[in-house]
Amino acid sequence: MSDNASLIKKQEEASPRCVRLQREDDDCLVFLQGNWSLESAEVRFAHAEWKRFLTANPTVSSFRFSAIELKEWDSAIIVFLNQCRHDLTELNKDFDTSHLPRGIVRLLSLSLGIRPGKPRSEFTLNSSIDYLETEIVQFRDRVLGVAAFFGEWISGFVSALIGRSGMRVRDLFGVCRSCGASALPIVTLISFLTGLTMAFVGSVQLEKFNAKIYVADLVCLAMVREMGALMVAIVMAGRTGAAFAAELGSMKLNEEIDSLRTFGISPMQFLVLPRTMGLLLMIPLLTLYADVVGILGGLTVGTQVMGFSVMHYFEQTQTALGGIWEVYSGLVKSLVFGLIIGLVGCYKGLASGKDSASLGRSVTSAVVTSVTLIVVADALFEIAFSYLDLR
Amino acid sequence: MTKVSNQPAVLRVENLNLSYGDYEVLSEVTFEVKDGSCLVVMGGSGCGKSTLLKSLVGLLEPAGGDIFFGSNNLWSSSLKEREAVLRGFGVLFQGGALWSSMNLIENVSLPLETYTELSDPEIALVAEYKLGLVGLSGYEEFYPSQLSGGMKKRAGLARAMALDPKILFFDEPSAGLDPLSSRRLDDLINELKESLGITFVVVSHELASIFEIADDSIFLDSKTKTLLEQASPTWLLENSDHDHVRSFLSRGSFT
Repeated sequence: MSDNASLIKKQEEASPRCVRLQREDDDCLVFLQGNWSLESAEVRFAHAEWKRFLTANPTVSSFRFSAIELKEWDSAIIVFLNQCRHDLTELNKDFDTSHLPRGIVRLLSLSLGIRPGKPRSEFTLNSSIDYLETEIVQFRDRVLGVAAFFGEWISGFVSALIGRSGMRVRDLFGVCRSCGASALPIVTLISFLTGLTMAFVGSVQLEKFNAKIYVADLVCLAMVREMGALMVAIVMAGRTGAAFAAELGSMKLNEEIDSLRTFGISPMQFLVLPRTMGLLLMIPLLTLYADVVGILGGLTVGTQVMGFSVMHYFEQTQTALGGIWEVYSGLVKSLVFGLIIGLVGCYKGLASGKDSASLGRSVTSAVVTSVTLIVVADALFEIAFSYLDLR
Repeated sequence: MTKVSNQPAVLRVENLNLSYGDYEVLSEVTFEVKDGSCLVVMGGSGCGKSTLLKSLVGLLEPAGGDIFFGSNNLWSSSLKEREAVLRGFGVLFQGGALWSSMNLIENVSLPLETYTELSDPEIALVAEYKLGLVGLSGYEEFYPSQLSGGMKKRAGLARAMALDPKILFFDEPSAGLDPLSSRRLDDLINELKESLGITFVVVSHELASIFEIADDSIFLDSKTKTLLEQASPTWLLENSDHDHVRSFLSRGSFT
């Protein structure tokens, strides 16, 4: 701290002064001199010098500003003078600018409305209670908003199932393409590598027990029960959930949602339903596909690295799979994950504010919220399955 | 056609209060709009013009008061009835608010697909006709991002007219347009009003445009947060009791 102060002092001595204060009894002459520019460093010290003078000379009652030695100036000088005017008005002293150039005086009077520095809100019991109250009210409104959204979605979903909604089938197909077929490359890559990694990790452990062939069981069960649905859900949350939030959020920003409403077209039916239903249709298919590709990833390690024959590996996988329930449980999970991704993405998009910063926050929050909810839901599923003896 | 002042009112606003939460924007606003006329909502920035418009088109529930369209009370009717009333409106937002994922013909077709029994080729014909009305023939396949500001507004107008509305609400037609495009839009409004008998409610603070299109106007004041006067702008310029209104209409040259 003291190092810093001495450094400033050194700099101050080195640089030319741009303000000189000269005391004459109860008056003070303030000479503004040299070049005043927002870019130059010496202006920074002018105010410090001014403050020092004020505290050192409390008896001076009138300050006359002079610019005879002033060369070039810009906003820096106005900001400094505004600050001086503010200080002097507070101390009830004279601020005399009659000797300043007309340009400066006019800019000063134009900026009369500015109050330097905002008063900081003080912490009191009342203000914190008010703060708590607004927070609680906002939280309640958010909860009610989510409940209303979910309720509206359910009623829309039911009316779509019985064919009485305003949803356009064309939109549904569009969503199916963008969140189904277009997601295949990334789902292929991720699930293949997941299967491959699990096979490598498992083989090291199983080798110790001389049970290397059980790698097939490990990969198959882990993919089908757990990793297939989970990896697809996480990819889709980042890919499709974010896209939903961004699309709807920018439509809100652009008043497109409002213009739908003025036509009596419900954004829920027209925008949210096709997106969520498309995702719900596609995500189990993607999961099934990821399961198969993951098993193929394991097979690649099993045959190429560990030396099993393809038939041997497949037979082992088949015995491990046991019943079809293993596959179903993964698909049920994926449906719930899809619902989470679709609803969170659309809700965050529609709840976005009308500025670009809040759009960014909505998209981030859509991804973070859905990934969190997916992991929580996954854990709940596993707990439920194990208590219900479904494993 | 008889004179505007003898026409019945299509839209009646009584003691309307508007607020955002605790913040009051407008209070005790009462006025009516005659059939086939063009009413301009005037006032300085921040006086609640756009807020009033939002409430008239069913986007913002008022804190008090009534809005009548014919005999229907907009905000005290059920959601279904309100949607039916709103179907008779066309609304044009400041930036056009076209649906950016659809091209122009799809934008105009969507309301038709939603509310009419027309077949696809018939809908396309109607939509092409509406785009032609606003001088956008040949731009059917263009997307909103490919259009200039003035073209977006005209496309928005075509979409707003898709269902042959009785009333068109127009938020700041001249905002962000060059003088010529702005003039062309004014001419278009006048032409549509005369040839189709559409009633216009236009929010604007562009003087040139106000005098060009307005049959009637209301002046909202941000200080008193209410409606100061209702009359035609030319009458107000000469005879208004409020200095502020005359000063507004003469661009400050009245003092």
